Amino acid sequence: MSAIVADRLTKRFGDFAAVDGVSFEVPGGQLAAVLGPNGAGKTTTLEMLEGFLAPTSGTVRVLGTDPHRGDRRWRARIGLVLQSTSLDAELTVRDTLNVFAGLYPIPRPVGEVLELVDLADDAETRVGALSGGQRRRVDVAIGIIGRPDVLFLDEPTTGLDPEARRRAWTAVENLTTTGTTVVLTTHYIDEADHLANRLILLAAGRIVADTTPEGLRAQGGPATIRCRLGDAALADLPATLADLPATLAGHLDRDNHALVVRAEDITAPLRDLLGWADRHHLHLAGLEVGPPSLEDAYLAAIGEPRSTEGALS
Amino acid sequence: MTDTARAAAARMPSVGRLLAAQVSYQARLLASGRAITIGVGLPVILLIASHGQHSNTSATGIAGYAAFGLTLTAWNTYGVRLVAAREAGVLKRWRATPLPHWCYFLGRILATVVVAVLAGAATVAAGVLLYGTHLTVSGALGALAAFILGAFAWAATATALTALIPTVEAAAPTLMLTYFPVIIISGIFGAINEPHWLATIASYLPAQPLVHALGSSLGHTAGHALLPARDLVVLAAWAVAGLTAAIATFRWEPHRPAQRRPARQRRQPRPGDRSHQPAKGGHDAPTSLPFAGCASTCVDHYEAIEPSG
Repeated sequence: MSAIVADRLTKRFGDFAAVDGVSFEVPGGQLAAVLGPNGAGKTTTLEMLEGFLAPTSGTVRVLGTDPHRGDRRWRARIGLVLQSTSLDAELTVRDTLNVFAGLYPIPRPVGEVLELVDLADDAETRVGALSGGQRRRVDVAIGIIGRPDVLFLDEPTTGLDPEARRRAWTAVENLTTTGTTVVLTTHYIDEADHLANRLILLAAGRIVADTTPEGLRAQGGPATIRCRLGDAALADLPATLADLPATLAGHLDRDNHALVVRAEDITAPLRDLLGWADRHHLHLAGLEVGPPSLEDAYLAAIGEPRSTEGALS
Repeated sequence: MTDTARAAAARMPSVGRLLAAQVSYQARLLASGRAITIGVGLPVILLIASHGQHSNTSATGIAGYAAFGLTLTAWNTYGVRLVAAREAGVLKRWRATPLPHWCYFLGRILATVVVAVLAGAATVAAGVLLYGTHLTVSGALGALAAFILGAFAWAATATALTALIPTVEAAAPTLMLTYFPVIIISGIFGAINEPHWLATIASYLPAQPLVHALGSSLGHTAGHALLPARDLVVLAAWAVAGLTAAIATFRWEPHRPAQRRPARQRRQPRPGDRSHQPAKGGHDAPTSLPFAGCASTCVDHYEAIEPSG
């Protein structure tokens, strides 16, 4: 049985359809990421799943219950982390978690949760004295303290530094091993790629792709050669650039100081690039050769231009 | 046994335990905030400053300052904190927990009553210690009852008013403007008997009956009512009306200013689209799809190619 079922879910604010006929199911234990640009309808969708908003039309069931009518036994099975941090600042982290733990029938031990979100060293610190990243982890701690069967995470790592993001990811990964169903909204492709085994792409309130990271990447087109060109190569070495082989010259993006080649078969342009660099004694320290990026596939799916203009396939 | 099975088999915490825990939690939050020092400190400072004015150090005078401390806490401190919590999303977060909504709502009010009563009691204690005001046991118990009823009436009414306050910035001015005129015409800083019609209005507001009931208790003498029934009826009426209005109008979510957003433009369906039920109605404006953050996380991994010499 699916943990979450959304059927033709629609939410209108006046004439504006924030979510427009969205249907999907999330099986129990899956970690699904909902991706999309600002205004795509991610948070509105999540708020209907969480019970904060009633749909204008369509139906939604989370653990078999209409979230808008969920009783407290249902709410005890749901964990959530809202888009913005929303905590009382006066008490310590431990005291705050103790208060929330008391709301659930079988909460996780507070010490275990502190370890899980890597806040054990800050347990006696007032919430108001924590950094933004630490407060976000308190949010996550509150979201998981009741051993939820379904956890909603609304942009849980926005604003965090790279290290804090990695720690938050580890905490989420630990949860999935316990069978928790997780629905995550995010701006970050790499976050979805790292955590999720399911990607639901929203644009303008509608689903434009429902796939896996591998499936999305496969939609991204041909393989890619990328190199960023230094100012010196562009401005001071016209002769070097003039010698650029024909297979590469058309792929030079002077505005972005980059060379990006997309091709079904990259053997020839790669051979030409290496030969050109060898002739002119250039380091290719930043050369990347690989499959189409998830970002490109994502941008293609939502109808945006590719990230680097001037690249030709 | 799995987590799910264990959770299903487990009993939910009793609402009595939840309410007690919530009152304790909210009282700790309120007492640990700096704002509470105004409710406790300012009336005591004014009481000391009024030394020598006999009328202000009598039972009636002390009742006025005690009511000042209590109402400052139950109206201004509580009201501003409630709006701030709502606008910060704290109320929304609590609403999503298994705590019954009424437990949270009532827990905040009862915690405010506890702290406001302590603020009022601190002023009475200061009066007794500084000026030797005689206080009987029955007088103290009567004052406690007036404190509790008065604090509940003020906090419940403040809860109802916060539904009309859209932002934290608007909270203090709105609460002050509805507070100071009431306490001044109600004689908290000294009786105002003229004009008569103003005194009549004040007798139906929650401050004057509170001061009068406190004065009757603190200066209780044989042959007089410990707590005048009319004062209790007015305060009880404000408590019931305030609570009823608060329940009817309470807002859990931050205020969202009205925005005029253009209707979505219908995008061309793509292979693999999973959405259904095309929307009806006009879609006449283009939709911008900015996507910040993605490029920086996915693209900027290149090193420059520079001559090696």
